Amino acid sequence: MAGQAVLSVLREDGVVQGQEPEIAPDTLLHAYRTMVLTRHLDERAMRLQRAGRIGFTVPNKGVEAVQIGSAAALRASDWIFPSYRDFGMALYHGVPVEQMLHGMFCNGLDNSRGRQMPVHYSFADPIRFVSISSPIGTHIPQAVGAARAAQQRGEDTAFLTSFGDGGTSSLGFHSGLVFAGVWKSPVIFLCQNNGWAISCPADKQTGSDGFAVKGEGYGVPGVQVDGNDFLAMYSAVRTAVARARSGGGPTLIEAITMRMGGHSSSDDPTKYVPAAMLESWAKKDPIVRFEKYLRRRGLLDDAQAQAALSAAEAQVAAAVEAAEKAPLPATETIFSDVYAEVPPSLRKQGRDYFDLMSRHGEAAAGDGAFPL
Amino acid sequence: MVFEFKLPDIGEGIAEGEIVKWLVKPGDAVREDQAVVEVMTDKATVEIPAPRAGRILELKAAEGATVPIGTVIFTLEEGAGAAAAPAAPAAPAAPKAETAKPAAPAAKAPAAPAAPARDAVITPSAPAATIKAAPVSASGKVLAVPSARAAARELGVDLQQVPGSGRHGLVRKQDVQAFAERGPSAPAAAPAASAPRSFAPVQIERTTSETRVAFRGVRKKIAEAMTRSKYTATHFTVVEEVDVTQLLALREKAKALGAEQGIKVTLTPFFMRAAASALQLYPQLNSMLDEAAQEIVTYGHVHLGIATDTPQGLIVPVVRDVPAKGLLQLSAELQDLAERTRGGKIKPEELKGSTFTITNAGAIGGILATPIINFPEVAIMGVHRVMERPAIVDGELVERKFMNFSLSVDHRLVDGADACRFLVHVKRLLEEPGLLAL
Ligand SMILES: Cc1ncc(C[n+]2csc(CCOP(=O)(O)OP(=O)(O)O)c2C)c(N)n1
Ligand SMILES: [Mg+2]
Repeated sequence: MAGQAVLSVLREDGVVQGQEPEIAPDTLLHAYRTMVLTRHLDERAMRLQRAGRIGFTVPNKGVEAVQIGSAAALRASDWIFPSYRDFGMALYHGVPVEQMLHGMFCNGLDNSRGRQMPVHYSFADPIRFVSISSPIGTHIPQAVGAARAAQQRGEDTAFLTSFGDGGTSSLGFHSGLVFAGVWKSPVIFLCQNNGWAISCPADKQTGSDGFAVKGEGYGVPGVQVDGNDFLAMYSAVRTAVARARSGGGPTLIEAITMRMGGHSSSDDPTKYVPAAMLESWAKKDPIVRFEKYLRRRGLLDDAQAQAALSAAEAQVAAAVEAAEKAPLPATETIFSDVYAEVPPSLRKQGRDYFDLMSRHGEAAAGDGAFPL
Repeated sequence: MVFEFKLPDIGEGIAEGEIVKWLVKPGDAVREDQAVVEVMTDKATVEIPAPRAGRILELKAAEGATVPIGTVIFTLEEGAGAAAAPAAPAAPAAPKAETAKPAAPAAKAPAAPAAPARDAVITPSAPAATIKAAPVSASGKVLAVPSARAAARELGVDLQQVPGSGRHGLVRKQDVQAFAERGPSAPAAAPAASAPRSFAPVQIERTTSETRVAFRGVRKKIAEAMTRSKYTATHFTVVEEVDVTQLLALREKAKALGAEQGIKVTLTPFFMRAAASALQLYPQLNSMLDEAAQEIVTYGHVHLGIATDTPQGLIVPVVRDVPAKGLLQLSAELQDLAERTRGGKIKPEELKGSTFTITNAGAIGGILATPIINFPEVAIMGVHRVMERPAIVDGELVERKFMNFSLSVDHRLVDGADACRFLVHVKRLLEEPGLLAL
């Protein structure tokens, strides 16, 4: 497998040089708009964080084609076990931006009631986007386990799990590939090689020639793909999904791309990412490239491109406003939603907590009245 | 409406930020999300955008100033109709370097004369009850931010006694620092160098058969230095067993040679040379933490403190530039220092400047100890009693002489592995004492 060419379809100028996948024009445009929305949301989130309006965010600039290209090859009934940068996948499948902003603001409308780390989304609908885990790699065997269940039920559901170059050094990667290889599970292992694991460069992450070759040892075919090429990403994942559905087993896809922002809002990448590296990758921008392709095909013009951006801005602005205004989670939600029946120890903690809060004048009317 | 912009925590758990550059001035109209100021934190330098549109009223922090998270750094008149707002004067001048300096390190190895002024501070006159206790959580834990807890641990302050200035009496770091400086009761005049005290004194009943002497002078200095060391350095001790049979034989020969020159040769100079050699190999043990500057200082020179038992108590005279000196010279210097130390004729400067300390209580007894570091040094080596023991050498059961060597390090600066390596090197030189000539 080593030495196999990197799968790519689009040249940097948007000219098709490889095998062009068949995709309906509407789908292409939806993907484009989602990429624009993803990038805008990402930029906006960073500014919200810098102004102290939200606590934390994880940039995903530069990896939009990996995410949207992969998501476009999945059905809504498939499952995604994502990594923390993958919110573009959820946007593609129609999760409302507002739902994400509620999560960023950790407010009472957030579907995890502000208890998860910000941007660690989970959505059951319209796609099965499993709660993002911060610990690296833990979700990989979970995806394989879920896929195993689907196999046993005789479903043809595909399971995509996404992780970074750094994630391949985790135990979860090893366990996941071992079992998927043995069971021939319907899993797409999407390794987003974005050049960095925080400040650790990808060439210090492994002694192997790239990450795709790692699959070989587990009996899982691997393929390297140009991650900044929407069409290549779509093709690779579609092929892997077809294999998965037909009982052919798992695939390891290494998407070669570049994290153009910091690791997170707490990071200062200028301390370790060489400026020249960023410059050369800026020329490969996945949205610019895809846009050139769409224009060549006559599917997109200036007005439509502008409309996509304006729509994204309006959508995000409205969502920010709504989410910032929404009330914080009610205090009692600290103790709810976890157990069907609240255990006595927690019930006691709840009572002590409300006692304390009322002594300090912080309990609001009605707090503590719920049946703990 | 006037909106006050508080410096947000733009990293995870950042305490303060430095205003690098203002990108707007009073009177400027700003859009939502427009960058207004560059701020540098320990994690990154970032542009901070305005959270809402309006007109800048006042910049409340000067470029170059370091401000805590939560400080209002600018105000703006919200909305587009804010045009008429009069421009406030430009940002104030950078405040003088203000932040409370950490207390000066307690004198390490004090000269014999007592420092009476200090004693007053320690007088346990203020009952703890006069201090408004910090609020406690349902579990009995004082409400305090993590940095305050860390500061309390470092300064040996009892959080229960610190009045908190935060919301609901939450104890903040500056409360702990102020408390440590002030002491529990003494007003601001208390000298900063006094060892931090926190616990209310235990009531000691008077009995009919006891003597009482004032707790001051060298005893008190020792107590302060020990307390400071023990509550600041994170002590970690490792022990090695050294076969000193060859060393003792060599020392007998050296003794004879020294006697011809009127020099008394003890084992200590051998230990000093071994330690000096190890310190040159592992300079992290020849270091100190400059807490005020937040820098780790590593010394190019090796000055060894030799803990010495005197009638007044423990005193640590210093032998300078040990690597440059031979065994006889070290012996002569030690003899001179020891005599003058025991006679109370040592000069204060001869008790300063050590980078590492050796404590040799082995001549008295004890097979093992966990020495307390001569703070702010980061390591101390203890030398313990010679023991005759059977040993297996080349398959033969033979009689050998052993000594235990202990090494305590400040685990904040020195890793356990390096402490072990240091001690292994010392062992190697002392078991094969010919190597000490190298
Ligand atoms: C088990 C574990 N170890 C360390 C971390 C800290 N950590 C968070 S993200 C990260 C880097 C991950 O890099 P990579 O897998 O390449 O993903 P990327 O951030 O580049 O998308 C690390 C080390 C963690 N979250 N979990
Ligand atoms: Mg990475």
